[in-house]
Amino acid sequence: MPAPLIALLVTALLIILAFLLFRPERGIIPRYRNTRYLSSRVYSEDALKHIYHCQLSGDRPSIESIAGALHITTDEAAGLLSQMENRGLLQLQENAICLTSTGREMALHIIRAHRLWERHLADETGYSELEWHDRAERHEHALSPEEVDALSAHLGHPSYDPHGDPIPTVDGELISLDAAPLTSADLHTPLHIVHIEDEPQSLYAQLVAEGLHPGMQVRLIERSPERILFWANGDEHVLAPIVAANISVSPLPEEYRTKPIYKGRLADLKPGESGEVQSISPACRGLERRRLMDLGVLPGTVIKSEINSPSGDPTAYRIRGAVIALREEQSNHIHITRFNQETA
Amino acid sequence: MFKEAQITANDILSSAKAARLQIRCNVHESLVEAIYTDAARIADRAVNRPGDEPRFDLDRTIDRLVTSRTWGFPIMLLLFTLVFWITISGANVPSGWLFSLFIDVIYPSLKNAAEALALPWWLSGFLIDGVYLSTAWVISVMLPPMAIFFPLFTLLEDFGYLPRVAFNLDNFFKKSGAHGKQSLSMMMGFGCNAAGVVATRIIDSPRERLIAIITNNFSLCNGRWPTQILIATIFIGALVPAHVAGLISALSVVGVAIFGVLLTFAVSWALSRTWLKGEASTFSLELPPYRPPRILQTIYTSIIDRTIIVLWRAVIFAMPAGAFIWLISNINISGISIAAHMIDFLNPFGLLLGLNGVILLAYVVAIPANEIVIPSILMLTVMVAGLTNISPGAGVIFELDSQADTLAVLNVGGWTLLTAINTMLFSLIHNPCSTTIYTIYKETGSRKWTIISTLLPLGMGIAVTFLVAQVWRLVEAIL
Amino acid sequence: MTTNEIKAAAPACDTCPFHHTANLMKLGVDMEDWDYVIALAGNPNTGKSTVFNALTGLHQHTGNWPGKTVTRAEGGFDYGEKRYKLVDLPGTYSLLSTTLDEEIARDFILFGQPDVTVVVVDATRLERNLNLVLQVLEITDRAVVCLNLMDEAQRHGFKVDDRRLARDLGVPVVPTVARYDKGMDKLLQAICDVATHRTICNPHRIQHLAPDLKQNVSQIAAQIKAVFPDLPNARWVALRLLDGDERIAEAIRQGELGDLTSGAPPDQSNLIHPIRLETV
Repeated sequence: MPAPLIALLVTALLIILAFLLFRPERGIIPRYRNTRYLSSRVYSEDALKHIYHCQLSGDRPSIESIAGALHITTDEAAGLLSQMENRGLLQLQENAICLTSTGREMALHIIRAHRLWERHLADETGYSELEWHDRAERHEHALSPEEVDALSAHLGHPSYDPHGDPIPTVDGELISLDAAPLTSADLHTPLHIVHIEDEPQSLYAQLVAEGLHPGMQVRLIERSPERILFWANGDEHVLAPIVAANISVSPLPEEYRTKPIYKGRLADLKPGESGEVQSISPACRGLERRRLMDLGVLPGTVIKSEINSPSGDPTAYRIRGAVIALREEQSNHIHITRFNQETA
Repeated sequence: MFKEAQITANDILSSAKAARLQIRCNVHESLVEAIYTDAARIADRAVNRPGDEPRFDLDRTIDRLVTSRTWGFPIMLLLFTLVFWITISGANVPSGWLFSLFIDVIYPSLKNAAEALALPWWLSGFLIDGVYLSTAWVISVMLPPMAIFFPLFTLLEDFGYLPRVAFNLDNFFKKSGAHGKQSLSMMMGFGCNAAGVVATRIIDSPRERLIAIITNNFSLCNGRWPTQILIATIFIGALVPAHVAGLISALSVVGVAIFGVLLTFAVSWALSRTWLKGEASTFSLELPPYRPPRILQTIYTSIIDRTIIVLWRAVIFAMPAGAFIWLISNINISGISIAAHMIDFLNPFGLLLGLNGVILLAYVVAIPANEIVIPSILMLTVMVAGLTNISPGAGVIFELDSQADTLAVLNVGGWTLLTAINTMLFSLIHNPCSTTIYTIYKETGSRKWTIISTLLPLGMGIAVTFLVAQVWRLVEAIL
Repeated sequence: MTTNEIKAAAPACDTCPFHHTANLMKLGVDMEDWDYVIALAGNPNTGKSTVFNALTGLHQHTGNWPGKTVTRAEGGFDYGEKRYKLVDLPGTYSLLSTTLDEEIARDFILFGQPDVTVVVVDATRLERNLNLVLQVLEITDRAVVCLNLMDEAQRHGFKVDDRRLARDLGVPVVPTVARYDKGMDKLLQAICDVATHRTICNPHRIQHLAPDLKQNVSQIAAQIKAVFPDLPNARWVALRLLDGDERIAEAIRQGELGDLTSGAPPDQSNLIHPIRLETV
């Protein structure tokens, strides 16, 4: 066998080995780190969170539900619970699992860490919506209470996470959401989305793909066992009831009702046409949103489409005197009312 | 007193906290709206427009031309070809002048002066053959093209054309997860990577700026063009009939540069999906009004700002490099110079990559300035091969007058076509020069990204040359 | 001082096309002793660096580009027997977002306490530029607006009434064409007048806040006034607190805000930030 072939084969082998070892998520080393992360502390913290959520929603946590939520066997779950009881985190009574005050505090800390981290991921990083939950699920265990406080201060003490869940305060106060699932909302009343459930991920991915976000104005049009038809910020959406049930809505406050529903997007304008900004979509967050506003894209601003790039995107717009190029995904976030008069 | 203030300060914070929970509107957004409302009102009162819209808007007319589907790209191509052509053809002459001034006039007189002063050979060798010669080399190769390229580029910038280039090209960059303005830092990189890295300041989105910094090294810089041209002429031009040799070797150099551009896109794409996935990203590109550039002032400031600063850094790094080359070639350990020891050590690895120990050592000593790669290769080859009749002395970098002589030396060094191709590839894909590395550190303020931008291209260069060498040899063995 | 002496002191001036103002002598970056500190703010691409160069004679490159100055540039000049230190801040559209550039500019105006803040404004795009001016005027009441690019405004066929603007903004407004060195002497005079308190500014403050915000702001501003009576920008500080700006909250907690009113320039070493690109 010629030497170069051997060299190439050896290299190929090394690459395959490195791939097996370091492949994200499924490589041997990431897996090893994963099992280490799933230490007993993490299990007990996740169990606390599960029990707390059950209590909030009025369900009764059980050994089976904990085993299901943590992906462990019921035997392991029973062992975990008795361990946690010994550490004074919970009390096992007949058929009931109750959190002690220490346990409750810890559960709230974890929830706070999770939601703040999601807020951070949404506002300050480029990760997609679908990644927030899993990343926060891992990172919540790594944050100490001091770090969580610092994070909260850094973010300007936000009250809600990007899904619309309230973030517990330092003192453990948790605002309860006054919301109902979209499936049981009244027909034809002005509503707005206050919360979108991010689990299970397959359903959440559908909601993200529809472009639905907390803060959007919606109106339920039709409800049948097969489908839910509704308007959200001017677009028609059709969802299966099981998916739509993950959207929580509440009636739109009176003072916002006067706002007209938008009639188009900035991206729809052709060169020479102009329109008046109605709103920036809630899907546009963090730095990106602030930058747009600093550039003068605000409700009431008149924007004229000037020229299109020869490569198709971006498009240059005249915004308050300056010509600024925006990419299509940005101009899609800007809702406008189009002007009818022809300005050729 | 102080204690009281402390208590009240906390009161302020707690009432602010309470108020924050009460306020239903988004504070930031309503503040921005309030400011713009006032701004619009004040501006309205102060500005007096005679007509509604000017009938003829020069800016829009130019814009329609330079961003039109038909003419946008040809105009761009034409302008940049022009800039590069003026740079390349205009730099040769002053480069030659500087060269003859530094090497043919000052160098011998320095040597004579050293002799007259009866300086010991090691001192004059270290200072004149080492430090002076490498610095002179770097200045005469680097200064003229930069003094032409940067002002030309700056004129286009001052006129307001460059943002339109970013506008035209943004879609391609968007697809690889980068910012359209990267096209400009990339082009600046063809002049000098360090200047290209500084030019990424115009990119205001953190992720896209990092991508532009890390990939800037794939723009074949001014210091590497001579290497490419020389080797392409000697080895690749020799493969084809003489009348097309010039064209083919030029095309192969352009091919390497285009390969670099493709690598920029590929690496940008990969980075934005892996390491840099989590960095925040935003886009905005202002197309400022066109302004007639003030030519003399622009030339003056761009020479001061860009050329001199970059040159100064290069000189600072070239001086110790010259000293280092001279020292390793003149200090002997057990009868052989340190350089020879290093070449022996690097040779097996070099051969694995289709290069050799001399080339690798030349790249190590040329970390401060890519300009001295070819002179170092020649000097080291001559030294290792013991061709004492050519070399002006150990550790003295030089270039040969004729290409035939250069080819002869390289043949003695065991060069083949594979060595030539891989040297060209490695010249494109290897670590940035120390000036650029230092600039990257200053711009990012981060060790992590400096190390990544240094090692990533080096690793890629090793991988590419290794693959080419092994496949080449495999094909050779089969044939 | 005769013209000869000036020439002797600044031989490099022969090559530069700038300023012939007799009282002006550039000092390069010699910052040993100065009487006043002037900050230069402005939107990107308004000719801010050109104004900087025209005032100091330093050749900072001025590109037709948004966002040229990332790190702070400094220079100095003499005028009317006083020495002025000029600090060029990064060009920003706003001071509210949390990008590094804006933080540097904001921190310098707030904590660096310049004697005068000059805001360079593009006369052709007044409305957009006033966004920044109004924000600066919320923070400091010692400012001068440099209405630059007047020639371009003329070329585009509209007039800007600088007196009206000065009345509405409550600070001096000086029309200039910095590229051709027009109006620079008047700008210097205005800077000097504000620095020496010959001109007292009465800056415009933002009026159209949302009602519930307005109420909360005035409540908290009153508290701030009680603790830091000399603070010129209590209302702005209150707004920042309501927006959850932790840097300002920290300044209140540490009493740093109190130091600002004493008039002593704070330690500026922490103002030189390296460019930080990583997120938390």
